[in-house]
Amino acid sequence: MRVTIEVNGERRTADDVWPGESLLYVLRERLGLPGAKNACEQGECGSCTVYLDDTPVCACLVAAGQAEGRSVRTVEGLAGGDGLDPVQEAFVATGAVQCGFCTPGLIVAAHELVHRDPGATDAEIREALAGNLCRCTGYEKILDAVRLAAAKKAGERA
Amino acid sequence: MTGLVGRGVARVDGRAKVTGAARYAADHEIPGMLHGHLVLSTVARGEITELDTSAALALPGVVAVLTHRDLPPLRVPSFPYLKGFVPMQDTRVHHSGQPVAHVVAETPEQAREAANLVRVRYRAERPTAHLAHALDEAFLPPLFRDEPNEFVRGDAGAALEAAAVRVEQDYSSPMMHHNPIEPHSSTAVWDGNSLTLYESAQGIVFTRRVVSIAFDLPEANIRIISPYLGGGFGAKGPTWSHTLLNAAVAREVGRPVRVTLTRAQMYTMNGHRAEYRRNLRLGATREGRLTAIVDTSTAQLTRTDHGVYNTSESTLRLYDCPNVHVRQLGVRLDLPSSSYMRSPETTAHFGLETALDELAHELGVDPVELRIRNHASADPHSGEPYSSKHLLDCYRIAARAFGWARRDPRPGSMRDGNVRVGWGMATETHTFSAIQSNVELTVDVDGRATLRAATQEIGTGTYTVITQVAADELGMPLEHVTTLLGDTAYPDAALSAASATVASVIGPVSQAAQDARKAVIALAVADPRSPLHGVPAEDVVAERGYLFARGDRGRRDSYRGALARHGRPVIVTGSRLNSSGHSYGAVFVEVRFDPRLATLRVSRVVTAYDPGRVLNHRTAHGQVIGGVTWGIGFALMEHTMVDPHTARVVNPNLSTYLVPVSADTPSVESFFVDRPDKGSTALGARGFGETPGTGVPAAIGNAIFHATGRRLRDVPFTRDKLL
Ligand code: FES
Ligand code: FES
Repeated sequence: MRVTIEVNGERRTADDVWPGESLLYVLRERLGLPGAKNACEQGECGSCTVYLDDTPVCACLVAAGQAEGRSVRTVEGLAGGDGLDPVQEAFVATGAVQCGFCTPGLIVAAHELVHRDPGATDAEIREALAGNLCRCTGYEKILDAVRLAAAKKAGERA
Repeated sequence: MTGLVGRGVARVDGRAKVTGAARYAADHEIPGMLHGHLVLSTVARGEITELDTSAALALPGVVAVLTHRDLPPLRVPSFPYLKGFVPMQDTRVHHSGQPVAHVVAETPEQAREAANLVRVRYRAERPTAHLAHALDEAFLPPLFRDEPNEFVRGDAGAALEAAAVRVEQDYSSPMMHHNPIEPHSSTAVWDGNSLTLYESAQGIVFTRRVVSIAFDLPEANIRIISPYLGGGFGAKGPTWSHTLLNAAVAREVGRPVRVTLTRAQMYTMNGHRAEYRRNLRLGATREGRLTAIVDTSTAQLTRTDHGVYNTSESTLRLYDCPNVHVRQLGVRLDLPSSSYMRSPETTAHFGLETALDELAHELGVDPVELRIRNHASADPHSGEPYSSKHLLDCYRIAARAFGWARRDPRPGSMRDGNVRVGWGMATETHTFSAIQSNVELTVDVDGRATLRAATQEIGTGTYTVITQVAADELGMPLEHVTTLLGDTAYPDAALSAASATVASVIGPVSQAAQDARKAVIALAVADPRSPLHGVPAEDVVAERGYLFARGDRGRRDSYRGALARHGRPVIVTGSRLNSSGHSYGAVFVEVRFDPRLATLRVSRVVTAYDPGRVLNHRTAHGQVIGGVTWGIGFALMEHTMVDPHTARVVNPNLSTYLVPVSADTPSVESFFVDRPDKGSTALGARGFGETPGTGVPAAIGNAIFHATGRRLRDVPFTRDKLL
């Protein structure tokens, strides 16, 4: 089947998609976007998190056909142009990145959290990101990154 | 030196990683590439009697299905290939989840579907899967990597007999899996008799050696590429069979092939922390001076290899005890080979540091005081003095920050409403390696520097620390130095394991950078066109890319200017072998236990470390939090369950093999003594990354005892054990 998705603001088409293919597969193997990572393929780790319309999803659990006609945003498309989104900046600035494999998914999840609830408490941040596994950082710096990005966002509003 | 070293500069690879630009092993686009998928055995012991690949081969897109019948013979490599056999060479099955067929197709989905259609029949034999069922078969394994499995100092038996106080207990830990978030991936590209592998490897130089032996190919014909690694924790240190099989298959089909393990396959394909049992006997004086340690451990081995990755170093060397007897026994089971897993000594250290807490309680001595009384100021086994050791400072700094002085030692005495509060502590220690390492540094005609080394970035910050040190010694801004790693086309350098990278690589980096600076200064002062012409070389300093005459900063040249006039790059190499050694620390933990629901939380962790000189506080602190979190996983949740009848892993996924998530971890306060170790060529830095976490399981268990009066000696400390 043919699948047409708006990916990072661009209309993209993939042909001969097998109905069993996941959105993650289409992004990585067909559309040349390996940012979202494949680490469990069953919704357990969050490494494949992307926006489907405005909702962060595990792209490994979304059938490619479900994304037909909808818009997808991946880590590659989070910042316009060459710049970094404030959440990406905050991950670098706080040392929230080690091996970086969980990072694309965590950045999308954190991006959504910061926009939805910039005033989230520590416990709420920990709970909100509990579906994104990181084996390297021990999470603490990721919390710092979320707080930093949220503070920046609050500053922009004020 | 411009003071970059030690500063917590942000990662130089940060941008690539937060934008999705970093290319991991499975992200490289290779033209014409096929995809492989492994079929794994479903029995643990026996023979393959039938293998029907016709249905798989009939599927569209399937190019080949290779089995033992058609795979060319491969030689069995030695270390760091740990399996002891290469699968798909005969019909024998040594463990469940062993490769029996390799399917190759145009797309990964086709390969996987075809793999499901391969029919295999076995003549199964009854496997043995648990230590408990074969303890009477325990034996002392032969040397592994020239290391014995038995160590004797003094006469521990007699000293134990004579001891005023004794503690004797059994401690145990189950099989655990590394679970790096990145699954192993290998892409083989042949060009005639030359092979390039895009690999998730913690040691590309070592992978090259293993592949060279297996294929009987000169190392010069093999190139391993691994610029980014999505974590490894030991799982990607050894080279595993999928790499060899996939390369063999790629040669057969005449096209590049990629194989990426599924999460489930990672539970039988790439090693694990073996199940351990440990009997510990401590003897001490009434004052709490250790007089004897007898440490007898039993580890899971396989029928094809006998590697013990237990490192009982802490029982042997951590405390000043004159009589020690360590025996590392093994039992052969029908399981995959175990291997190194982050902080391998944790299994041994968990027992020792728990036993010490038991001894402290028995004697009525404070646990910190007990450790101070047994502090070793020279290596107790060799008698050699330490080039530097500040463990006593670690106890003092962390205890004060934690508020340890306010601890009421009576178990169950500290409460917060219904919640019981427990405080426990342990020493942390790790033995790091040092590996001969070489680097090449080029100062190009634009005055910028590029450093090349065949080590790799496993996530700990290797790109950053190397860049920092090189920029500092060169006197260049950080942005003028590029570090290239993860390619065996560069000079051979360290494995990213055993906390060896910094200890091994920083010496040659700083040497090369100094030599390059001197070479460029020599060019400048000899060049009549340079403002520095005629200034004695030793009077020229380099800062932020400029070269100045000391005392006359008006006379100024630059790397850019000097190199542009020179017209060709300056290339230097650095080469060093550092010595291995130990890093130390102390960890203090608070747990909160709610007896109504038997829920336990680690609520506070305070640590202090002596890693020699700290080269980057930010990445070092990152290792602390990560390591402590691993310690929490070891103590409270990680457990690979193996069915005793089938010897199969029953929880090969991340929803039933639990690893800590953000909601499980407390914030971690950490301190560094930060004094250079004069014995280290890495600017006084020691290997450190695996030190944090080694003491955490014992500290948590000791805190649980303090909270509840209940002593747990078998990890993980799950709720059923706390009811
Ligand atoms: S790869 Fe999608 S959740 Fe793990
Ligand atoms: S940084 Fe390695 S898994 Fe998160």
